[in-house]
Amino acid sequence: MIVSSIIVLSLSSVLSQVQTAAAPHSGAPKRVETGSAASTASSFEQLSKNADKARTENRDEEAIPLYERGLHLQPRWKEGLWYLSTILYEKERYANARDLLRRFVSQDPDVGPGWALLGMSEFQTREYTRSLEHLRHAMALGMGGRKEMTQSVFYFVAVLLTRFEQYSDSTSMMLAMIKSGQQSDLLVEPLGLAALRMPLLPAEIPADRHELVRMAGKGALALEAQRQEEAQNLFSGMVAAYPNEPGVHFLYGAFLLDVRPEDGVAEMRRELQVSPFHVPARLRLAEEYVKEERPDEALPLVQEAIKLEPGHAPARMMLGEVLVAKGDLAGGIRELETAEKSAPQTVRIHWDLLRAYAASGRGKDATREKEEIERLNRPDAGH
Amino acid sequence: MGWPFWAAPFIFIPMVMVFPLLALFLTANSSPQHPPQKRFDEIAKQAEVARIADRVDEAIVLYSEGLRLRPSWSDGWWLLGSLLYDQDRFPEAKEAFKRFVATTPKPGPAYAFLALCEYETREYDKSLQHFQAWGRKGSSGTGELIDVAGFHWALLLTQEGRFPEALYLLAAKAQKVGRSPALVEAMGLASLRMTNLPEDYPSEKRELVWLAGEAAFYSAVGQHDREEECAAKLLMHYSQEPNVHYFRGTLFGFQKERAEAAREYQEELKLSPQHVPAMVELALVQIDDFKPAEAAPLAGRAVALDPKNYRAHYALGRALFETDRFQESSDHLETAKQLAPGSAPIRFALAKAYKALGRSKEAERESSAFLSLRGKEEISAPPQGKNALPEQPGPPK
Repeated sequence: MIVSSIIVLSLSSVLSQVQTAAAPHSGAPKRVETGSAASTASSFEQLSKNADKARTENRDEEAIPLYERGLHLQPRWKEGLWYLSTILYEKERYANARDLLRRFVSQDPDVGPGWALLGMSEFQTREYTRSLEHLRHAMALGMGGRKEMTQSVFYFVAVLLTRFEQYSDSTSMMLAMIKSGQQSDLLVEPLGLAALRMPLLPAEIPADRHELVRMAGKGALALEAQRQEEAQNLFSGMVAAYPNEPGVHFLYGAFLLDVRPEDGVAEMRRELQVSPFHVPARLRLAEEYVKEERPDEALPLVQEAIKLEPGHAPARMMLGEVLVAKGDLAGGIRELETAEKSAPQTVRIHWDLLRAYAASGRGKDATREKEEIERLNRPDAGH
Repeated sequence: MGWPFWAAPFIFIPMVMVFPLLALFLTANSSPQHPPQKRFDEIAKQAEVARIADRVDEAIVLYSEGLRLRPSWSDGWWLLGSLLYDQDRFPEAKEAFKRFVATTPKPGPAYAFLALCEYETREYDKSLQHFQAWGRKGSSGTGELIDVAGFHWALLLTQEGRFPEALYLLAAKAQKVGRSPALVEAMGLASLRMTNLPEDYPSEKRELVWLAGEAAFYSAVGQHDREEECAAKLLMHYSQEPNVHYFRGTLFGFQKERAEAAREYQEELKLSPQHVPAMVELALVQIDDFKPAEAAPLAGRAVALDPKNYRAHYALGRALFETDRFQESSDHLETAKQLAPGSAPIRFALAKAYKALGRSKEAERESSAFLSLRGKEEISAPPQGKNALPEQPGPPK
């Protein structure tokens, strides 16, 4: 419901701008007009005028067949493709809108809003892989300063990232959205899902877990806003109400590690009883043990994490940190370099490497890492 | 007149891109003095240049124009189809691949591309037919095509209710390329015997499908401890859902944990008393546990409920054999053979039944058939799937 209101908002904004703009037909390929070609062109001109008129007068049902006939005559008519697809999207005829938008972006691949509307159509037709790809492409191209459309695209990308099990990216994105002024109410359930590592869309939350997800989301929001007491109440309430649900103890434990590390460790251990293959719980525990200068206890946890997810960059990073803490600089650097290759944008890995290179007397390498950290911390670094 | 909203920030880009296209159209249409052959050759050359330079939209226009001049240009249909496919323009790509298939003696991978386009345009029957045609012709294509086509083929097999075949393909993919969210979802649907595609099953079933898919995936790659964890989570929330206990039973069955498997099949039958696959699998477990007298009525009920179910006839045939009712056994095994001529275990059981009846020539024939079928898949599957045969009995004794 919330999501569709965002879409409607953004589309109304799109359409209002479209309605004020008269559309030229320069996108349509021109042919030399002789005989029947001339009459085709003239009937096309008439059709397109009538279609635009019907659209601007909100007579969508009349506009649709007119645009369709125009596109039959001139299949590459860009304005026709765009306007018809936006009308069809509004009419919830998403598959039809999608097919037209694919033709549109094929002709105009650098138009962000085209990719955005295509991705949103594909979201509605549940082609989630393509939707995510195309929405991300729209983000990369930009939406020309259209705030509502941008917010919709970010929302869809965030919830899809969760569905594709990219929980950290999804969470980071949602927190950035909140910082940039997005209404946080909209993000309670999406944040809760990402925090609990449930690969579901908000519409897919099972009825008996709605409250759990909302508690997790509200807790994450409270934590982000540094309302510690509220976060504490929400997370402890969540653990009491749902002690056997996967992800619950991890979330509470992650909160506690910052305020009462001993209790945090206990919660992480509980999570591993509920979810024996939980990789992030192992890594957070290992991190805490390194902080407490207990690297020998951290090492088996990280090794298990790598066994479970061999290509997981945070696990490699953590292994590097543990080895460095144990005094194995060469081994630590090797692991950190592996992690860096998989996640070159992660600043923490560069800090780890900087310190490890410096400790090994590799000044040049340390300087390079310092420069990389400075580059990544610049606002235009694109991460 | 102004530009519509999308063009405003990008106005120069679209204009720049449009001009070469307009120029091409004008050139192509304003030179009527060119003889058709020359025009075709020029356009074909320009199309190739555009394609190689990755000017996809321009290449599509040029190939379309070339094909308008020469509809028999087979390579043109192939290249046009491929370009359109890469742009996700499936309705148009489908038409191009159709023309290619019609104009070339060896369509090879084009059948797979055509089937993939038809999947996207929701012409599922045709898509399945073309995947099968592709399989019959040897499933040729790049590794990537084989992966994508095999995956979509499996989705359609699930939709058709051909779950073991679907899982057979998906398990092979799991072993070959590893885990992905899409693969997990597909395995979940097939494991729960849901005749749905990932795009069309009810949203409220998503977690159920995901958990079943996780369990199926880890079972396929032999990580049984993780399989156990996922199956436990599945049962924690969905023990009353149809097919969940049946699926759990099959997982136990793969690990030869017959008692646990039997218990799960019985649980399924409590929830769904008409569940034929649960009856069949329970009967087969009972036969393996030397309880054929218990298995026979159960398998008989399965046959009565679903007379076209080859595995029900197979189970009944085996149960009857073990109770020395050889003639009836061979009757049901013959029916099973008719329904599933490619199934090696049926031939093995039939050979035993014929032997018991003293029909040694027929027994020999069935033994040979068993030996030649053993190790082959029961559907025309892509070559990499051969390691994932669902049922493999021992050799005939």
